[in-house]
Formats: sequence, structure tokens, C-alpha cells
Amino acid sequence: MQTAPIPRIVIGLFGIDQHEVGAIAVTGLLRDAGMEVVYAGRFNTPEKFVREATDEDADVIGISCHSWEYIHFVPELMRRIADEGLDVAVVLGGSVITPGDAETMRMSGVAAVFGPDAMKDQMVDEIRALAKAVRGRRR
Amino acid sequence: MAEQTRSGIALKPHYTRADVSCSEAPEAPGAYPFTRGRLRPPQASPGWINRELSGEGDARRSNEQIKYLIGLGQMGVDVIGDSPTQSMIDPDHPLVRYSVGTQGVSLCHKQDYVDLLRDIPLEKNSVSSSVPAVFALTGLLAVVEDRGLARDKVRGSVLQAPLYAEDCGYSSGMPFTLLNRLAVDTIEFAVEKLPRFHAYIEDTYFFSESGLNGVEEMALGFVEIRHLTRELIRRGVPVDSFAPRIAILVNCGMDFFEEIAKIRATRRFYARMMKEEFKALDPRSWSTVITCHTSGLTLTAQQTASNIVRGSIQGMALALAGVQAMEISAFDEAYRTPSDEAHRVALRTQQVLQLETGISKVDDPLGGSYYVEALTDEIEQRIASMVAEIEARGDAVTLAQQGFFRKLFADASQRHYRLVNSGERKVVGANCHRIPAEQDTLLRDIAEKKIEPWLSRISEVTRYRKARHRDAVSRSLRSLQRAAQDKVVNVLPEVFGALRAGATAGEMAGAMRLAYDHPYDPWGELRPEF
Repeated sequence: MQTAPIPRIVIGLFGIDQHEVGAIAVTGLLRDAGMEVVYAGRFNTPEKFVREATDEDADVIGISCHSWEYIHFVPELMRRIADEGLDVAVVLGGSVITPGDAETMRMSGVAAVFGPDAMKDQMVDEIRALAKAVRGRRR
Repeated sequence: MAEQTRSGIALKPHYTRADVSCSEAPEAPGAYPFTRGRLRPPQASPGWINRELSGEGDARRSNEQIKYLIGLGQMGVDVIGDSPTQSMIDPDHPLVRYSVGTQGVSLCHKQDYVDLLRDIPLEKNSVSSSVPAVFALTGLLAVVEDRGLARDKVRGSVLQAPLYAEDCGYSSGMPFTLLNRLAVDTIEFAVEKLPRFHAYIEDTYFFSESGLNGVEEMALGFVEIRHLTRELIRRGVPVDSFAPRIAILVNCGMDFFEEIAKIRATRRFYARMMKEEFKALDPRSWSTVITCHTSGLTLTAQQTASNIVRGSIQGMALALAGVQAMEISAFDEAYRTPSDEAHRVALRTQQVLQLETGISKVDDPLGGSYYVEALTDEIEQRIASMVAEIEARGDAVTLAQQGFFRKLFADASQRHYRLVNSGERKVVGANCHRIPAEQDTLLRDIAEKKIEPWLSRISEVTRYRKARHRDAVSRSLRSLQRAAQDKVVNVLPEVFGALRAGATAGEMAGAMRLAYDHPYDPWGELRPEF
């Protein structure tokens, strides 16, 4: 019997957004759900996320957003991912993401946005599905 | 299962006289050990200082904001720096361009402090700031000297968080040894230069927002207070010269009675510690000032208006506990730094409490309640055992270096999220009594308004750098680096000199990091130019 591959996800924050509580909590939740999480912590630029995702062979990049820096950094990240031909799903989480901004982010290629309403199971299921899709394309 | 407080104290269905420790004479408010309220001069009026945390954009914009709040009846200045300022990074650093001025005010050179405090009478308004203490203090002192004010008239405060800021607040890429030395240097410097200034606010608010309970919050707070007190005494600074200027900025969550008991227990624990352990003789050294921010973590992004109710309840707990100043987190906290509208609501909440309810007419109105007294005793005991347990593990700076505190914060975050996610901890609007997002519109327009990065500030700082007397700046930074290398002298006079010469916070922090064999720029983008 073939078991499903274990999702690999890089989690971190952009710029000097230092409200790390959510990112640490989500890291714990995803690890408990059996995923491999590389915790990239604070102080990341789009370039660093791309490098980390490449080095770690990640399926998903998860960014915790508690300052508005993400609005400016995400489009830059999506451009870099496209330029380097990397196949990775980008997901965002955090209460500062308004419904309108979430829509803009999805339009720019972000795979999922988890707002303040997101519950644990929904987040775990969606990330697992995204990782599976990425793996499927790579095969 | 029996009901519990947030700290896990098992509760009885009701409390009686038998639950309260019998003391020979009932304690009076304002008398040792100050459970029922701090020492207060007879002429002082009861009540508390109303203020709201402010700061956005550059110093000039924040100066307008401060004047707006003073116009609304605020009694002091309470400013927070933006993320780069808090991390001691200048606004023209490539990592920070999108965060300049969005979550606080951007401050990095002397002129910023002049602009920030323009037209604000410093004899009448205390200046409190959540900005790295070493720069907040020297910046204020520069303004005081420029205006020719009497130094003993200036009041205000700065926060010190050398053990916890790196892991839980704003990282500055400095080693714990340097962070601790800066805290001690700042407090020592203030004793001499600004004798009425509170150079040491122990801020338990920010790190308990990781999800710590009240006992853990205060235990860690006391570990830091005790560590810095010992360091100052070891340097030969008399305890009675600085202890009266220590204040504690606590958090206030939603567990109403536990928060009140926590503050009462904190006053008592502090008094006994200063008198019995550190041998302070001046009664003012035994009685600490308690100020408070209500918890942002308890506020929800959903059904924003409920946050106003939460703020009112927390404010009421604080009034009943007898705090000296409070700040109620604004209802739009989950989304943004406070809007003018949310600031006004938060201030009005305090004013309603103070002027309409009569709540502050009597000291410690809950004193003598079987429940509150029993809870106060229990919390004090639990704080004491946790402090002893941590101190038995070793020196506080070593524990910080080993990541001991970082793990406590991370565990607390995960515990909080598990409790909320599982619904075990009820949060109205978030995990129960929810409404569909499309119906959740009340106050949303205000909560979702954004502050754009203050990009003009970046070019302004670049211009400032070019206009300086370059040699004088370089000399002052080299001199600061040398003082920092000499582990015995106080670096504050050199920081003050460098600030006056035109050096920026980022440059000064870099010079001090170099002295401790750390990279000038921990984020790897800049090289020293002095």
C-alpha cells in the first residue's frame, strides 16, 4: 500500500514583522498534523523564502502576516517564484488580511488565505491538498 | 471538574472567612505591604492617568497625533516606535522599507525627538515611550537641554526588557549581555540626569501577550526586576536611589477577578522583596507604581464592536485594582495600529469609568472580599514559587542565552491557540456565537483603513545623513564603540554625545554590536562607515 507523501512547508514572516505568536502556533498545529515544517522565523525577504523553499524542497510556503508589509512583499515573491520556475504553493495567514486584500492576493497567485476565521482542520486540510497537488505536478 | 482561573487555580463554589489568612490587624491602603494600594501622598487625588499609545508616520505626524490626544483630555504622552525603531534599524535599511511609520513613529536621530515633542510642555506632560530605552532617554534629555528646562521637573518613563525583547518582542540582533548592560546603564544614567524619570518600567505586557497566564507573567517580570536590581546594587548604585523609580506595566486579560488579584499580589510581593531581600529603607522603594495595557490578544477580528465591551470590563478591573495609569487597547487592534476613532473610544471608556461610575472614590473597594483576598494570597504564593524555580536553574542572562524563556513563550502561544481552537477557552465571536462574515460589518470600515508606509521618511533620513558633519559623527561612533568595549564604564554619556553629533540609532546600535564582536548589521545589508 502506498502512503501519501508527507507535506513539506516553510513557515516564516516578512521583513521585520515580529508578531511571531501566530506563526509558532501554526507550526505546532501542522507538525501535530504530521507535516514537516521548516520554521524560517522572522526577517525574511522574498529572496530568502525562495531560497529556503528550493533548498528544503518545500511544497508550500506559509507566511504569517501581522503587519502590512506583506502587501508589498507578496507580489515581489510571486514574481520571483515565476522567474525561477519554482512550483510551490504560497499561503498566507493572519488577522490583518482583510477580505478585500485576500482577494487581491489570490488574484496575484496566492493559493490560499487564512483569515481570522480559519479553523485548524480547514487549514490543515487545505495545506495538505495543496502539497499533494504540487507533488502530483512534480512527478 | 472544578472551575479554574486562567492560571489554573482551582476555584471553590464560594469563599468564606476560613479561606482568608487571618492577620493580626487589617492592612490599610497605602501602607506596607501595599496589597491595597500604593503609597500615596495625602494631597494626591485618587484615580489614574488616562493615556493612549500613539505614534505613526514621522515625528511631525506623531506630534500632531499627541496634540490631538492631549486635546481630548489625555494627561501624558505615550508613544510607540514603528517596528524599525523598536529594532534599532534606521528607516533606510532595505529590510524595513515597507514598515516605516506604519505601526508606530519612526525615530532615529536627534531632530526626530525635537519634532516629536514640539510645543508639548514637558513640565506638565509626562513622556512615556515604548522605544528602545537607551535612545528614548537620551532623545528626551537632548530636548530638555535644548529648551533649558530643569531636569528634575521632567517626568516620564521608558521600558526595559533585556531578557525577553529579543525572543518575544522586537529583536535588535544584540547579545543578551549587551542588552542587559544597556538596561543597567540607562537606569544608572537616569538616576543622575533625570531624577524624577522612571527609567525602568518592567514591561510584562508584551511578553505575556504570547499567551502566558497571570502567574507566569508576573513570575517572569520579577525574575527580570530581581536580576536588574542585583546588577545595579553590584555596581554600587544604592537601592533607594532607583527602586522608587521602578514601575511595572502589566497586562490585563478577561479573567476579571484573577487580574485584580494579580495586581494586588504583585504590589505585595514587590514590597516584601524590596524591603526584606534587597534591604531598601525608603518606603517609596517598597511601593511600586502599576500601569497597565489591556490585552490585545483578548480582542477579536470578528464582531469588532465587542472589543469595546472587553476594553470596558478590563478597564473596570484595573480601576478596582488601583492602577496608576491605564491604556485600553483600541477596538481595531486586531487589524491595525489605532485609528483616531478607536483611540477616542478607548479614552472615552476610561473617562466614563472615572467620571461617571464613582469607581475610584474609594481605595481598594474589593479589599476584604473572601474570594479576592484568597485569590491574592494564592497568586502571590504561586509567583514566589515560580520565581524560585526559575532562579534555581541559574543566572537569568544564561537562561536567556540558552533559549529557556523563548521556549516558555512558544509553549504559551501553542497552549493559547489550542485552547481557543478547541473551544475550551470561549472567545465570543471567534469560536462561539459567530456570524457570517458578510454580516460582520459594524465598525469594519474603520478597522480596515490602512496606513501606507511612510516612504518620504526614507529619503528624509538619507538627506539627514548627507547634511551631517561627517567627521564629528564618525568620531562619536568610534568613541561609543570604545566605551562599549570597555565593559566597566557606562555607555550612556557616549550615546548621548553621538546622538548630539548627529549619529542615528542604527549606527549607534551597530557600533555597540561591533564592540561585542557581533555583526554591525545582523541582517547583513550594511557596513560601518566610521
